[in-house]
Amino acid sequence: MPSRAGTPPADSPRDEPSETPPSETPVIEAPALIDAAALIEVAGLNRVYRRPRTSLTRPGEAVHALRDVSLTVRRGERFGIVGESGSGKSTLLRLLCGLDRPTSGSVRFDGREITGLPERGLRFLRENLQIVFQDPMSSLDPRMRVRDLVAEPLVALGLPVGGRVAELLEEVGLPASAADRYPHQFSGGQRQRIAIARALAPKPKVLVADEPVSALDVSVRGQILNLLADLVDELGLTLVFVSHDLAVVRHVCETVAVMSGGEIVETGPVDDVWARPAHPYTRALLEAVPTLEGLL
Amino acid sequence: MLSVDGLDVHAGPVRLVRDVSFGIGPGERVGLIGESGSGKSLTALSLMGLLPEGVTASGRATLDGDDLVGVPERRLKRLRGREVSMVFQEPMTALNPLMRVGAQVAEVMTLHGRPRAEARERAVHLLGRVRLPRPEQIARAYPHQLSGGQRQRVMLAIALANEPRLLICDEPTTALDVTVQKQMLELIAEVAPALLFITHDLAVVASVCERVVVMYGGRVVESGPIREVFTNPRHRYTEGLLAASRLTPRGTRLPTIKGSVPAAGGFPDGCVFRNRCPHATEACEQEPALTGDGHAFACWHPAG
Amino acid sequence: MTGRMNASLLTGGALVGVVVLAALASFVWTPHDPTLVDAARKLHEPGGGYLLGADKFGRDTFSQLMVGARTTLYVGVVAVGIAALLGTPLGVIAGMTPRGWLSELIMRVNDLVFAFPALLLAVMLGAVYGADTLTAMIAIGVSTVPAFARVARAATLQVMVTDYVLAARAAGRGPGAIATRHVLPNIGSVLIVQASVSFAIAILAEAALSFLGFGTRPPTPSWGRMLQESQELLFSTPRLALWPGLAIAVAVLGFNLLGDGLRDFLDPKLRRIRAER
Repeated sequence: MPSRAGTPPADSPRDEPSETPPSETPVIEAPALIDAAALIEVAGLNRVYRRPRTSLTRPGEAVHALRDVSLTVRRGERFGIVGESGSGKSTLLRLLCGLDRPTSGSVRFDGREITGLPERGLRFLRENLQIVFQDPMSSLDPRMRVRDLVAEPLVALGLPVGGRVAELLEEVGLPASAADRYPHQFSGGQRQRIAIARALAPKPKVLVADEPVSALDVSVRGQILNLLADLVDELGLTLVFVSHDLAVVRHVCETVAVMSGGEIVETGPVDDVWARPAHPYTRALLEAVPTLEGLL
Repeated sequence: MLSVDGLDVHAGPVRLVRDVSFGIGPGERVGLIGESGSGKSLTALSLMGLLPEGVTASGRATLDGDDLVGVPERRLKRLRGREVSMVFQEPMTALNPLMRVGAQVAEVMTLHGRPRAEARERAVHLLGRVRLPRPEQIARAYPHQLSGGQRQRVMLAIALANEPRLLICDEPTTALDVTVQKQMLELIAEVAPALLFITHDLAVVASVCERVVVMYGGRVVESGPIREVFTNPRHRYTEGLLAASRLTPRGTRLPTIKGSVPAAGGFPDGCVFRNRCPHATEACEQEPALTGDGHAFACWHPAG
Repeated sequence: MTGRMNASLLTGGALVGVVVLAALASFVWTPHDPTLVDAARKLHEPGGGYLLGADKFGRDTFSQLMVGARTTLYVGVVAVGIAALLGTPLGVIAGMTPRGWLSELIMRVNDLVFAFPALLLAVMLGAVYGADTLTAMIAIGVSTVPAFARVARAATLQVMVTDYVLAARAAGRGPGAIATRHVLPNIGSVLIVQASVSFAIAILAEAALSFLGFGTRPPTPSWGRMLQESQELLFSTPRLALWPGLAIAVAVLGFNLLGDGLRDFLDPKLRRIRAER
């Protein structure tokens, strides 16, 4: 069929070279909690991948996906992370969500260290932090019905399902009849609604959205962004919103961290960063984005 | 120069593109915009004679008098890559991973009868023309050694190799980073002899093209000079699309178009947009004609 | 399933159906007792109640073919069952822990078994435990395990890098649930195809073993042994070789076509293209 709407490649870790096993326990002790409002605290995070070796005598080349990244997300905050492919934003996201282990550094969620924990120790994180992925085509198992997809986090965490699926579908603006159908029977925007319903199932405190609208048509993008804003307000969620588009982040978030080459090059209130970008990379990024207002 | 008149694209009983007409003059840059399912890519592919299996085009399209639609593959082959060429969205898969870049650029020239040595030399020249640094070195590289932006430049060099009269670009920068996109767009605008630029991104089309054709549901709903169409949209779909692409300040609601784009074959009769249009009335059950000189639109209840 | 029937699927299904029907019917009815030796009917020509004639012992060829179908399917089911039940979990484990030592171990042992000829294994097992249908089936099954493990591993690797597996992990799913809920359903179609191809190979292998005398023991009819027994009369009474040969060809072709057809039928990507058109 005709081309899908734009899907800028996220710096997907799939393409990344094979990884070296991360050192067992992170060495750096996280600084003591000072900010009581802090919900996610990242300190001195590094992630090094190693390319497959090409020579017998030398080990594969090391790739620094993340260099010494630190940031704090406060309760109820809408925090944006902006970067292009290869900036390390996807790696950071995976570490925040406990889907990967850092080479060094710490990630604390609600005061508890999550790095180095085995999967069964991450239950508190899974209950409280859920993700919406970029491409709703690929993030929903094509062989599962919507009912099972939405209920999956509940089942996985051993929480009661009950009438929650219908409730969630209504919350994201889908008919209850959607539950019996398969993902491919829905349009892109509707699929992203399903993904959002699923993420909200265990009533998390934090919603992490990884480029949730970049695979969608413009006419649908607004619907999803409005829906996210409504849900964040109603449910009092903390939002971590990752995007390659600073303009979208400016619409959604209060605070932004701009990433490039595995580092956070600039961070602050999004309006300040937008109006007075301090780092040359941020300036280049802002200049590069074509805007209708600027062109007409 | 290029003239498309009443182009239809069918997949079995389903009409995917209906009665599309537009033209491109020499040196003109025209944008074809639409969302998924609008038929914009099929329109482009039918001009190249590259429609997928089971999809057929009818109607008339000519490039300087040469027919592009409904002619045998043998004749199209001569035109393709020579008179009209295309750059695709995905720079990762469009190049042969086992062939050096220079050889791939040279190949399109030898295919159309240029001597091998000359083609090799010219390939390096072309790689320089699309502003790749150290073209001699790039020519010897394999695709995986290049970045996405560099690969897309190579694709552009291949497209330009035989000095075509028309360049078609299908979302050439969608897979690229914004900082790379900007340079690529400038380059395309500079080197294209005449351009048909397909995209879903209004801002991108505004930065490259002079004229725009807006498609929805397989039909042209509006066309005209870009500044005119974007500042004074007449079709309700164009109006909604423009509103939806402007990001309002934080805390405000974004304007939206209700519902979602129907699946292929699921668009309503009459005006294709009427099931999502806030201004639709009974009149819209009749198909509106594309009317207007210069700035044309197909709407019973135009805006403005 | 929203896939559309295709020619391979229909033809393959029909051919396999004929074999299955013959096998089922043989339980309740055969024209004659397929094991009844009757010197009076030695090399009886086709006709007169003997549709395809009789062999050198006077046994009815048609009845033997029907009961032989039973043996063939039995061998196929057990051999492929062994291969699938062992190979699939091994392949899935190897695919889910691509860099672990366990995965390495599984795949290296796999290569070892793969390098060992199936027929040789069957002959060895036959020599040690006595040649009969069961040892043949086990030998064929065990030597088909690597094929399943490889296919399952390759398919699992593909599924493991999808966003929906990442999403399932983020939702809190453990490896066991990911394997059963996400990996198996999504590699199922590949495995079914592999099964039908292996089925065809197993049928051939059983026929070959019986032909060599390492498979089904007399008097149980088997297509392979029918071929073997027809050997000395190949020039005088070629029909004795023709019919079991044809039966083997039909069954093998049937299962191969079925596998081909199923692959297209079950492929969600092909299905999506169809849906979009």
